[in-house]
Amino acid sequence: MNEELDSQLSAMFDDELAPEQCELLARRLSRDEQVKSRWGRYAVIAAAIRSERGVSLNPPLAGRVSAVILTEPALSGSAAAQGVRRAALRWWQPVAGAAMAAGVAAVSVLWLRAQGPLSGATLSAQRTAQTTAPATADAIAPGQGLSYVVPRAPAARAVLVPSTTLANYVVAHSMVSSPVARRNLLSAFMTSESANAASESITAAEEPHDVQANIP
Amino acid sequence: MSADASDLSLVRRVQHGDKGAFDALVLKYQHKLVKLVMRYVRNPAEAEDIAQEAFIKAYRALPQFRGDSAFYTWLYRIAINTAKNAVVSRDRSPIEYELDRSNEESYDMQSRMKDAETPEGLVLTDEIRSTVNAAIDALPEDLRTAIVLRELEGLSYEEIAAAMACPVGTVRSRIFRAREAIDRRLRQVFEGGLGRAEEIG
Repeated sequence: MNEELDSQLSAMFDDELAPEQCELLARRLSRDEQVKSRWGRYAVIAAAIRSERGVSLNPPLAGRVSAVILTEPALSGSAAAQGVRRAALRWWQPVAGAAMAAGVAAVSVLWLRAQGPLSGATLSAQRTAQTTAPATADAIAPGQGLSYVVPRAPAARAVLVPSTTLANYVVAHSMVSSPVARRNLLSAFMTSESANAASESITAAEEPHDVQANIP
Repeated sequence: MSADASDLSLVRRVQHGDKGAFDALVLKYQHKLVKLVMRYVRNPAEAEDIAQEAFIKAYRALPQFRGDSAFYTWLYRIAINTAKNAVVSRDRSPIEYELDRSNEESYDMQSRMKDAETPEGLVLTDEIRSTVNAAIDALPEDLRTAIVLRELEGLSYEEIAAAMACPVGTVRSRIFRAREAIDRRLRQVFEGGLGRAEEIG
């Protein structure tokens, strides 16, 4: 090896060599036993300078590892790529598992709904039949056509606080409440009064009436 | 300069079937890993076994390494898990390496008594250490400062350049020259066998 290459090896040992030069030198390092020995001695020098007590500076470790590795199958480019791909795919394996579990659960629910003794549709149909049957039976007089009775609109909600009580309350507390709060309360009171009046007029207009649905 | 480019280039080679590149990674990190494992087991021989297991696990798991973290960080995690599992399986409680550091002499004695390494191995370790120390002492001041700042303080070339008020290229050259000077002596120890350090010194 020439001096320039030796210098590059020293820089590579310190991780101070450009990546492209590292690529070239790594090839030589893996094949040339002399270069590998020099590299190993650089590591020994580093360990000796660091005074790593108790650590053998000439351990048989590298030779032993090398002997075991020789019996191992060589890693191929495809194996490395496969490993990377496997590692990349690993993250979504739990996601896929959860999605599969959710799918199975959804299918089970649908199947149970389809196979159950009283499905929602059946139940509502039965209820409709039960509620409408007496009404239609009452409405049909013998000799008359079928008719449909529009049910009475539900009564307007009862006012929980009578207007007079509320007015008294406002007057009684007007002395202690702030002007803004008082104004808000009064406007709410007036709105509720007008709403009550409107609902009463609607209720009067919506008296039950028959819709004759004559069926031939 | 991209951090970890050196390790990453070796890792990519291993991932494409080059087993020799993995040797380079083991050579680089074996001492660090053994030291790390020794926080959990006191016996250096046992620590070496665990480090060996961690390296083999790392090799087998390397297809999954994508380079999101530094290679050593990834290896470090494997080693820690391997050491913890080893401790649990042997029903031992972890022993912090740092605990006995207050009395380094006593620590040395304890570790040597439990060390399964051969006496020759121990002597060689001592000889390597003394050779490296002697070589560092013999270095010119600028080379010694550069290599010590790098290896002992873990500074980057840029930080050393700032500390020594010189260009990054000069730092790179100084560190290389320091390593070469130390390596020249070290090579003689490895090649010449025991006792060479005294002759060189």
